[in-house]
This record gives sequence, structure tokens and C-alpha cells, in this order.
Amino acid sequence: METTLQVVGLCKSYGQVKAVNDINMVVKRGEVFGLLGANGAGKSTTIECILGTKKKDRGTVSILGMDVHKDRKKLFARVGVQFQEANYQDKIRVSELCEVTASLYKDARDYAGLLQQFGLMDKVKNLVSELSGGEKQRLFIVLALIPNPEVVFLDELTTGLDARARRDVWRCLSDLKAKGLTILLTSHFMDEVEALCDNIMILKQGESIFCGTVQEAVEASPYDKFEDAYLWYTDKEGYEYAVI
Amino acid sequence: MRSFKALLISESKLSLRGMDMVIFAICMPIVVLIVLGVIFGNKPAFEGAEYTFVDQSFGAVATIAICAGGVMGLPLVISEYRSRKILKRFKVTPTSPALILAVQVVNYALYSIVSLILVFVTAALFFDYQLQGSWLHFLGAYLLIMLSIFSIGVMVGGLAPNPKIAGVIASLLYFPMLIFSGTTLPYEVMPAALQKIADVLPLTQGIKLLKAASLGLPLDIVLLPIIIMITVAIVCTAIALRFFKWE
Repeated sequence: METTLQVVGLCKSYGQVKAVNDINMVVKRGEVFGLLGANGAGKSTTIECILGTKKKDRGTVSILGMDVHKDRKKLFARVGVQFQEANYQDKIRVSELCEVTASLYKDARDYAGLLQQFGLMDKVKNLVSELSGGEKQRLFIVLALIPNPEVVFLDELTTGLDARARRDVWRCLSDLKAKGLTILLTSHFMDEVEALCDNIMILKQGESIFCGTVQEAVEASPYDKFEDAYLWYTDKEGYEYAVI
Repeated sequence: MRSFKALLISESKLSLRGMDMVIFAICMPIVVLIVLGVIFGNKPAFEGAEYTFVDQSFGAVATIAICAGGVMGLPLVISEYRSRKILKRFKVTPTSPALILAVQVVNYALYSIVSLILVFVTAALFFDYQLQGSWLHFLGAYLLIMLSIFSIGVMVGGLAPNPKIAGVIASLLYFPMLIFSGTTLPYEVMPAALQKIADVLPLTQGIKLLKAASLGLPLDIVLLPIIIMITVAIVCTAIALRFFKWE
């Protein structure tokens, strides 16, 4: 299978603190790859170094066979991104945000169709700030999909959502996966990761402590459930007590 | 070009929705002109002057919008878009964050031009105003002022660490310029000591240019203001390019 994303020896420090240390990653076309870890484990820094919005100290990154700095314009015509923070203008309407986003790409998808698909058609005239948490997150998926990308990066898409909204977003991602889109996501919800991700990487203090499938993660741990296994990986000393 | 157009339309709409610029760049200059006109009427600017007070003030009032957009609007919007990570979002698209900055500069330039037209129409309708000097010189000077004041705004917005500090700096620049550069309070009615202080402000120099151009005064007095305006534009642009913080 074709490699969509390849990361070799990625390092990034903030002063003395190693935020990301020697990360290696291969994501194949059509795969959903989950980046897991506690807050501050280095997930967002990893994504930002991959995308070039933060300067990496060492290592190489190639997305769709391209260098993120040298081929920036060509590359980002084929990549959709949703950052953790909601970054949109105050007082902007849903339709305006979609319109402007579409104008940035040569071959943008028809956003009305996407809004329809994600159940947001009746919100077109609303201010983005008026949307509920779940509606906003679905809108952000729509924005990431407007370029008609081959790969999307979604950083903590479901954090702060209620169970219902989370399931909605979850269903959207499953549909995208079925259509063969390559997705790299970060998440705090293990049920979601289990359902969506083909491969995962668990980060702890900037280092990869596990990389493989969810099933492999469970098998290599003393537990049957993925969530327990995940906690075991991220906190090998303390967790024994927590379970007992 | 398509991105630029779409962004300009959307950013203009957002800015109109905010109302600030409508009040400070569009309404305020007209109000100031009418107040000056009503108080001083069509009296000569000073005893024996060949031009009226309104003739003398036209150029100054026309820069209120440049001042509002340049040192208030631009720093605030740039620093807000940085803190809201909108500039960062543009980094992961085929365009660049410089595009949205360019759109903002054009947006505020449009406000200034609309204001200039409205101030001229008001002056012509109510106070029989006619530009005695050269429109070409006047527009050249107007463009130079825009360049110079906007470069200050981009520099402040680019360097201020957060919107709060940007707001403080913008206020520190905006209000003194608005009051002491001669845009609202006429330079000619200030005491000599205050005029000396006002001369430090770049906009005061710019307004001297506009007055000379609009009144058809001899051009020998404009060399120093021109040099000052160009220097400010070059220095601020250079600092902005070198130290601009995208995040």
C-alpha cells in the first residue's frame, strides 16, 4: 500500500523540555491513525511539527511524498486540517466561513453538499459562534473536507462534546473512512479509537511507548479491555493500584 | 485573485458588522467637518487669508479615516487574528497568512477612500468647497500618508504579544494623533508650544502635505514632511517584515 505520511526521528524541544522525542510513524493510504496520550504528552506538538506550523528540531516528514516547507502550496491543496482551537473570525456566518475556505482552493468541493451531508444545512445563515459544540465540530470537519483532501488531520475533534454529539462526529468519520480517506486524529476517548483507528501510537512525555493496532496493544498488556490497556501503558507504575 | 476577492468581500462584511469603522472612519470625519464649518463658517482661515477655514481644514479632516484604520483598526485586527489562530489556519492552506493581511490593508484603504469622497462631497455641498491646488498632488500625498500610517499599524499588530497590549498601544497612538495632529482640533488654533509637540507626530507632517496640496501653496515647504513620511513607512515596514509574529 502507498505511504501517505512518513515521519522519521522527529524531535522538538521547548527550552530544556523535550516535547517530542524521536517519533517514527508510517501511515498508509486509507488508514485511520490515532495519536493517543495524556494532556501534554506531545500529540498536538507532533501534529504541528508534521504540518510545519511548528518548527521541528530534527527529523524528516513527508506527506503524500512531499516536503511540507518546499511544496507547501501544492501539499496543502490536498490536505485538510482541523486544529484543536476553533480558529474563525468573530461574527462570521457558517456560509461565509465555508465560502472563504472554498475560495482558498483551486478544486474545492461544493460546500453546500457537505453541509447537507453533515446535517448543517439549516444552520447556513447562523453565526458560527451560535452553533452548539457538536454542530461546530461537524462544521470543522466540513471545513477540513472542503479542499477535497486525500488526507485529513483532526486534533481532538470530540473533546468537550456530549455523548450524542460525539457519536454523530464518530459516524461522520466512519463514513469518511469507508470512502478511503486517510485520517490522522488525536483523541481522549478509547471507545472512539477502538472503533475508528487501524493503527495507534501512544505518547508519553513526548516519546512513543506503543505503536501498532488496538488489538496488539491489548494483547501485549495484562488486560482484556483497551481502555485498561491504554492506562497501563501510559502509567505503568500507578495503574496497578488504581484497578485494585 | 479569486481568494483575495472572496476574502475581501467577507472581511469587509465582518468589519461593517463590527460598526467601529463605520462610526470612526465614515461618520466621524463628516461630523467634524460640519462642526468646523458651522463654527468657523466660510470665514477666512486667518486675517487676510485667501482661503476659508474649511478650505484649510479639508485635508486634515480627510485623514481621520486613515488614522482610525491605520493605528486602531489594523493593529487590533492583526493581533486578534493571530490570537484566534486564524493566521495559523492560513498556513495550512495553499495560500498564506500574508493574504489575509493584504486583504485587511486594502479593506482599511477602501474605508479611507470612501471617507475622502464623502468628506469632499459634504464640503462641496454645504460649504462651497473647491480644491484650489492640484488633485494629483493631493491624492499622491493622501496615498503616502496611508502608506506611512498603515505601516505603523501593521508593525504594531505584528509585534504586540496579545490583543490587549495591541489595544493599549493602538489607543496611545490613535487618540494623540486624532487630537494633536490637527485632524479634529485644527493645528492653526493650537498654541505654538503645542504645535511643536504636534510636529513630532507623523500624521501632523502628512496633514501639512495635504494642506499645501489642497490650497495650492508653494511646494518648497513640503520636502521635510515628505522625507519624514517616507522614512516612517520604510522603517516600520522593515521592522514589521523582520519581526512579525505569525503566532
